[in-house]
Amino acid sequence: MIDILCDTILPGDEDLGLPSGAIIDIDRYIHRADIGAQVKEYGQLLDELSLEKFNEGFVALDVGLRLEIVELSRRRNNRLSNIIIIHCMKAYYTDANVLKWLPAGAVPPFPAGNPLKEDDWSLLEPVYERGQAYRPVSP
Amino acid sequence: MNSVDVVIVGSGASGAAAAWSLSRDANLRIVCLEQGGQGDPKQYPTTLANWELSRHGLASSKPSERNNHADYPIDDTNSPISIANFNGFGGSTILYSGHFPRFHPSDFRTKQLDGVGDDWPLSYQDLEPYFTLNEKMMGIAGLVGDPAYPEYENLLPPVPMGPAGQKIANAFNTLGWHWWPSYSAINTRSHGGRGSCINLGPCNTGCTQGAKGSVDVTYWPIAKRQGVEIRTECSVYDISLNQHDKVNGVHYVDAKGLQQFQEASVVILACSGIGTPRLLLNSKSVAFPNGLLNEYGNVGRHLMLHPLAYTEAVFEDDLKSSIGPQGCCILSQQFYETDMDRDFSRGYTMQILRGAPPMETAVSGYMMRRIPLGPEHHKEFAKYFNRTVGIAVIAEDLPHAENCVVLDDENCDINGMPGVKIHYTLDDNTKKMLAHGVERSKHVLETAGGRVISSFAPVKNAGWHLMGTARMGHDPKTSVVNSFGQGHNVENLFVVDSSIFTTSGAVNPVATAQALTLKICDHLRNNLSDLERST
Ligand SMILES: Cc1cc2nc3c(=O)[nH]c(=O)nc-3n(C[C@H](O)[C@H](O)[C@H](O)COP(=O)(O)OP(=O)(O)OC[C@H]3O[C@@H](n4cnc5c(N)ncnc54)[C@H](O)[C@@H]3O)c2cc1C
Ligand code: SF4
Repeated sequence: MIDILCDTILPGDEDLGLPSGAIIDIDRYIHRADIGAQVKEYGQLLDELSLEKFNEGFVALDVGLRLEIVELSRRRNNRLSNIIIIHCMKAYYTDANVLKWLPAGAVPPFPAGNPLKEDDWSLLEPVYERGQAYRPVSP
Repeated sequence: MNSVDVVIVGSGASGAAAAWSLSRDANLRIVCLEQGGQGDPKQYPTTLANWELSRHGLASSKPSERNNHADYPIDDTNSPISIANFNGFGGSTILYSGHFPRFHPSDFRTKQLDGVGDDWPLSYQDLEPYFTLNEKMMGIAGLVGDPAYPEYENLLPPVPMGPAGQKIANAFNTLGWHWWPSYSAINTRSHGGRGSCINLGPCNTGCTQGAKGSVDVTYWPIAKRQGVEIRTECSVYDISLNQHDKVNGVHYVDAKGLQQFQEASVVILACSGIGTPRLLLNSKSVAFPNGLLNEYGNVGRHLMLHPLAYTEAVFEDDLKSSIGPQGCCILSQQFYETDMDRDFSRGYTMQILRGAPPMETAVSGYMMRRIPLGPEHHKEFAKYFNRTVGIAVIAEDLPHAENCVVLDDENCDINGMPGVKIHYTLDDNTKKMLAHGVERSKHVLETAGGRVISSFAPVKNAGWHLMGTARMGHDPKTSVVNSFGQGHNVENLFVVDSSIFTTSGAVNPVATAQALTLKICDHLRNNLSDLERST
């Protein structure tokens, strides 16, 4: 259920070459963050809302309807929904397999670092030419 | 336990500089007691892909989030700004950004020039040689020739500003405003036996590379070689007096939980602007029933925090803004000095901050309803990631006796020593200054072509510059220590950290705090034998 949720809110994007949220090891994340009970509660809420609105469980819905249910869940229980959605985002954006597809530079453990081009310090000329900018103080 | 010449309490920015400076005299026996443990750069968050998560654990700058046994309770519910620090070997420099500008000459004369605050018992010129020495020891990058300062002698090449810095620099030029590459405690080439920065970004979680000048990699290795003994996980709870009301050592709880006494001819406090008043206030005796050096009730008062305003904009172009040291890019001191045409005294620095890393970008974008869930998520995320730039306004905070640190007997650390409560409010001058700073930040970001997406003041979790709580001055009735950091009535007790600042300036404090420490320690070294004789 939670991987379906991740895929719903963070689907893959072929144009940008980004993977779906379903590829991350969300179970490991949930275990580490110790949020199993809240995930279960949110899953129940999603199912309840899906049954109410579409007569089917959340997992059985197509992706567009699932997204609708997620939005509905935010209106029904904003606090719980946000907690779980944000955890999914945190899990996704700290996953090494995702990071390497983002233009996030070197991914830990940082083998090479990130080059930045030499700057053109002649940009400072006007600042320099305006002259002293600090207040003179008698000792 | 064997008596030593000097015991230093606290191993952070100032404690480390003191240890190095004094240990140049090979005859001195020096011990440093540090309540936190020794960190291991190989365990810093950035060694893992999920560093954005693990930074909220032991490497957090919020003591409440860290929950480390070395931390003491800090109740800051009575302050719009929360205290941020790090209690461990190297102190808060482990997490600091390394933004390293000096105070300006006018900062030492606010009363004389503007009729506000108080004048320091020393001047910029008095500190100048120590600024230079400290910058060499800490490895400071930047560019000489800044018209906002008297001449600097020598600096490492500046930290690259990158496309984001260039964008803002051009806007400053369009407006005719001052800007300059940041003074940064970041190696831009090998220096002091350390490698250079590789532009990873998250300096605030500890620099695994060793390129950031935190004192565990600058002063400490040399101080240790020069013979200083450092004892970590040793928490000092009392400064002890002899029958002549001179200090004769400190009581502490060691790593095994045992109470110990370290006898010393001189005690130096370097526990930070919160830890130092806490220890002084807790050191009660017949001679000082309200805490050591607190005859006139000045200990813990005049707390200054540098309230911050933050403004952020997003740009159309990919500025690679998440790449490079997060807090060190460029700065502007266009509004640093008092201008009679403005409705406030003194001024502020604008510190340009690079963009947020991926997780922070996604979560804040979602919370602010900028980045949706579902098929459009990645396209919208891409419009923000690497395209945001922030400006932090560091406002000069004027000293007020009511802004203070007091003991909190109801909340104690693991050894039973009271924690602290913070009472702090913003004055009208600061509020006007922050409002001005926000407007000017928006103006420069918009001139650069950005769209402002957030702006607020004061920033809550930004109480990391802790100053003024054991202030220096000539008059024992209105200050705690003299111009040598020496207790007015206890001549062998010294305070060397930023608690002794008389006013706050409007720049990050470490450059000035360490220069002061070095100056005080020169004086102490030259007068130590007299002090030892008189105790
Ligand atoms: C996230 C962050 C970013 C920052 N960025 C910058 C920046 O860019 N530029 C800048 O100039 N400043 C910055 N600062 C502030 C800077 O780090 C501090 O001003 C500086 O480290 C203070 O030095 P200090 O020696 O007074 O205290 P600290 O460096 O905090 O060291 C004090 C040490 O004393 C120890 N101690 C306290 N009480 C006791 C006791 N009773 N017994 C034994 N040990 C004790 C503590 O454990 C601690 O290790 C930043 C701070 C933070 C947290
Ligand atoms: S950006 Fe440079 S100084 Fe900062 S953590 Fe990375 S390597 Fe260290």
